[in-house]
Amino acid sequence: MNIIQKLAGYFAETDNLPKVYALAVCLVAVIGICMIPAISYDADQLYPKSVDMESPLSPYDRGGVPFEEPAEIVAQYPENAPALGWVTAYLTPASQWMADNTLYLGTTIAAHPGGILDEILYYTRGFDTIVEASILLCAFAIASFLYRRSRT
Amino acid sequence: MMEAILVQIPFGDMVHYLSGYTVLLFAVAALFVVLAIVSLPEKPVDIVFGTDGYTLKEIPKDTMKFQRFMSIACGVATVGAIISGDLFNFTLFAALIGILNIGIVAGVKNRHVLDSAFSYGLVVMMGTVPLFAGAAIAVAATGTLSIWELAGVGAVPLISKLLLLLGVLGEGMAPFYIGKAEITRAPGAPYILMIHVSSLLLFLRVVEILLTV
Repeated sequence: MNIIQKLAGYFAETDNLPKVYALAVCLVAVIGICMIPAISYDADQLYPKSVDMESPLSPYDRGGVPFEEPAEIVAQYPENAPALGWVTAYLTPASQWMADNTLYLGTTIAAHPGGILDEILYYTRGFDTIVEASILLCAFAIASFLYRRSRT
Repeated sequence: MMEAILVQIPFGDMVHYLSGYTVLLFAVAALFVVLAIVSLPEKPVDIVFGTDGYTLKEIPKDTMKFQRFMSIACGVATVGAIISGDLFNFTLFAALIGILNIGIVAGVKNRHVLDSAFSYGLVVMMGTVPLFAGAAIAVAATGTLSIWELAGVGAVPLISKLLLLLGVLGEGMAPFYIGKAEITRAPGAPYILMIHVSSLLLFLRVVEILLTV
């Protein structure tokens, strides 16, 4: 058997392919670690992230006053986002009360009605959130189909 | 006409990336979505050895419905990956294609097919790591994700491109398993084609992105 036959025999087993792929991932990861000095961080980020632990809206604090002053949000294509900054700045009266009295409104973003609608998540990059939810939906559809089939 | 529609839908920073090349890929993907919608499942014929008799395998209706849904969704995800003008959006669509390919393969009730679907699932789960790592390094090094902005600048580091390529390689590895599992002759044949189409178009698109940015 020459080497090509041996390789072909090895790749023909489907169980071996994840091993080969994992090896390739490790290899590229090592190359990446070696190349870290060559990569520089660009300070002019379009979607900056800074956490101010003193703010009650942390980590979603992007500034702004409801109905008076829009938050500072930069969009790649501002012509596609005419209401930029106004949605993030808005808080419902209940959320405003919580923000005034506690430090933890930002952590309850999904646990109470109203709250902060982060514009980078839901407006300028809103389509990403839709696709993420679709990935979850499809994964659950497959899991439920296989589960129901295994029951019959 | 398509450009007018795409401009009208307000996706914020998610803009389309239509060039002569991607329009061609879009047309192929759309054609296969239509084929998946209109086609009926194939019924494999088994000849009884030594006689003139033959048996026709019936496809259970729920399996057929599930595979049809998965292949249509896979085609739509392929269209999304092709016309997306945003690097992170592209990686998300690639991950969606990987999940849906598992769904199409897993719909067939056959031990060998399910074995290879399991192995493929492992590869897809591993593939998401380099895929999103590539997009993350690209945004850290350039500050933006729009392919229009990155086009021709060459600011995306080489390692980011390598990781993206490796990730797409993992997501699009399904055809290798298809050949092994002989799934093209397994029940539900026409829907399986979507796996090949989506992987092929994903490769063509990622090559275009890597040459552009």
